[in-house]
Amino acid sequence: MMASGNYIKTRQLGCSRVAGMIFGLFLLLAGCEQAQPPAFRLNMVQMVSQETSTEYQQEIADVLGALFGTPDQPYALPETGLEQNRLNLAAGPAWSDREGTVHGLYRKHCVHCHGVTGDGRGPTARFLNPYPRDYRPGIYKFKSTYNSSKPSNEDLQAILVNGIPGSAMPSFALLPSSQRESLVEYVKYLSMRGQMETELINYVYDELGEEEGVRIPLDPAKDPEQREVMLEMLAEIADGWEEAPEQVIQAVQEQLPEENRPAEVVAVSVDKGRELFYGTRANCLKCHGPTALGDGQTDDQNVWNKTNKKFQEDNNRLADRIDRVRNTGGLDAEGREQLQADLLTLARREAIGARLYPVRNATPRNLRRGIYRGGRRPLDIYRRVHAGIPGTPMPGSGPASSDAQGTLTDAEIWNLVDYVLSLPYEAPSQPQRALPANALQIAR
Amino acid sequence: MKKQTDENRCAHGIHRLARLVGALLLILSSLFLSTWGSAAAQGAEWGSLKGRLVYAGKASKPKAINVTKDVEFCGKHTLVDEELVVADDGGLANVFVYLNLKRGKSVAVHPDYDQGVDQPVVLDNKGCRFEPHALTLYLKHPLEIHNSDEGIGHNTNATLLKNPKFNELVSNDAPLTKNFKKSESYPSPFACNVHPWMGAHVLIRDNPYMAISATDGSFEIKNIPAGKHAFRFWHEADGNMDKLKVGSEKTSRKGLLKITIPAGDTLDLGEIKVSPSVLGQ
Repeated sequence: MMASGNYIKTRQLGCSRVAGMIFGLFLLLAGCEQAQPPAFRLNMVQMVSQETSTEYQQEIADVLGALFGTPDQPYALPETGLEQNRLNLAAGPAWSDREGTVHGLYRKHCVHCHGVTGDGRGPTARFLNPYPRDYRPGIYKFKSTYNSSKPSNEDLQAILVNGIPGSAMPSFALLPSSQRESLVEYVKYLSMRGQMETELINYVYDELGEEEGVRIPLDPAKDPEQREVMLEMLAEIADGWEEAPEQVIQAVQEQLPEENRPAEVVAVSVDKGRELFYGTRANCLKCHGPTALGDGQTDDQNVWNKTNKKFQEDNNRLADRIDRVRNTGGLDAEGREQLQADLLTLARREAIGARLYPVRNATPRNLRRGIYRGGRRPLDIYRRVHAGIPGTPMPGSGPASSDAQGTLTDAEIWNLVDYVLSLPYEAPSQPQRALPANALQIAR
Repeated sequence: MKKQTDENRCAHGIHRLARLVGALLLILSSLFLSTWGSAAAQGAEWGSLKGRLVYAGKASKPKAINVTKDVEFCGKHTLVDEELVVADDGGLANVFVYLNLKRGKSVAVHPDYDQGVDQPVVLDNKGCRFEPHALTLYLKHPLEIHNSDEGIGHNTNATLLKNPKFNELVSNDAPLTKNFKKSESYPSPFACNVHPWMGAHVLIRDNPYMAISATDGSFEIKNIPAGKHAFRFWHEADGNMDKLKVGSEKTSRKGLLKITIPAGDTLDLGEIKVSPSVLGQ
């Protein structure tokens, strides 16, 4: 701006109007040139928690840049199994070319909530409840696979088609499926990048650092051993995603409820389901409440909120300790040094903490409303009960893998599905086991 | 092979002799190798490590748990916060002491540890708490999660980093059996979401060189290969125990201490004083 002003002055342009216009033009051009392309944000909560030094932060950012590129130019190594051309369509600024091909799909449809980094911190995120998903840990709630497995492409597609009822996530059913496929690829890309970042932070903490006063840099370009480790980590992350289709929970055929069951048969199943709901084996009432209004356990958090909660609690604990030390007084040299270090750490942590969103508790679903986030088909409810909901307090009741033993049989899970699906339609006049008025008493 | 030998026997006497000599040499050399090999195993030197952790501060009385769920059952047990367990004489319990290996490195395991690896290690939901509160698991053993609280439903929610996470119901009649494939770098938190006060830490490692300090603060790790190793000191209150004074040495920022294990002997670290600041108190 200063430069353009001086430029106008030296040319001695008489007409102030022209000068103004040119100045404006320069301003515009200068503005365009100076605009920073969007960059991926580092996971500062984890970095500060693991005392990642600024040098290591930069080196981790460099390694991630080399492995994954930038939001404008994403890059996927063959090890990731990701399709580069799909990423290209999803990434970058939103525009369409003469043929009508839409580019920058992620920034067009997703970024306002999920953020450039996929950390669930887009500009609108703070105002939404529930918060948009942070893709970085690679944990997804609504899927067809076992609890610890990644979602399949079809699972992520289904979320895009159906949206998430009861949340701000809309349906993208009107997009061509090819565009949704590109978005699914990009979401997986953001997850893998986030998972890799966590691995790198852990690696730096556990394996590098200072030894005899010399810092060991993270520099896989120069260190072949480090390069091998990086590729190993990446391959492991990619494996998890690649094997998802094999980890789809297969309902036992013989125990599948028959189609077009007569009402009496369903009623028997609903009764069994009710018994399980209130029994200690399935134990549903403890969280969903004795009236299934979702009020049984309301002071727990999901993993995303728990991470932030722990970070804030650690900050408070450190602040308390500093206060205590200051009030006691009479510190020796070592104590004073420790205090200075603690103050610095606290300042660093509080700067990060101030930017975090308020912690929200995980509310168990109100099963009387008939709104099911992961889909309302019996099969969707079956999967929620079978595998539980990853990242949340909801435990699984079926086998945790194809060779494991579950707490409930498939037939029992289907009974619960019938009961859960009957709850919104239960006549208000029907005698209920518990009323909201005495719910608390009964819960205890 | 057999067919060839038959042919040789018929036609080529010299070849046969050569073969015999060769075979003899092979037998001799393998005999030598096997005796040398077993000598190496016998000759490997092992040593033990022990010590006692003592809390140097004044431990406040453990806080009573506000039982909000299954009050009739869980309320019967006097439940207290188990984050900091200090005995009357100062013994600090539930400190994990374990061998730290760099990524990709392994350690020789004494044959004693491979005895009875099919025996499960049990983590029990008992009296609305986890028993034990801190547990080590050499991953050749399966982990069994029990629920001994008759008529009380629990779930076990394990936050693992290297192994698959899990969160499952545990009923009275069906324990969960878990086999782990990977070594975790730190003790993993186990929780029960039904009873929010319930917590435990399980250290899952691919080597058996780990211990948890007992109620009197003492710990011992047996049959470690002699030589210099790094050991980690970890406590749930503040994770890695940094600046912990052990004799004339101090643990690093990551709670690590290099210790030389004597051959055929036990190294006693003696009383290790844990100042409250080490535990973030």
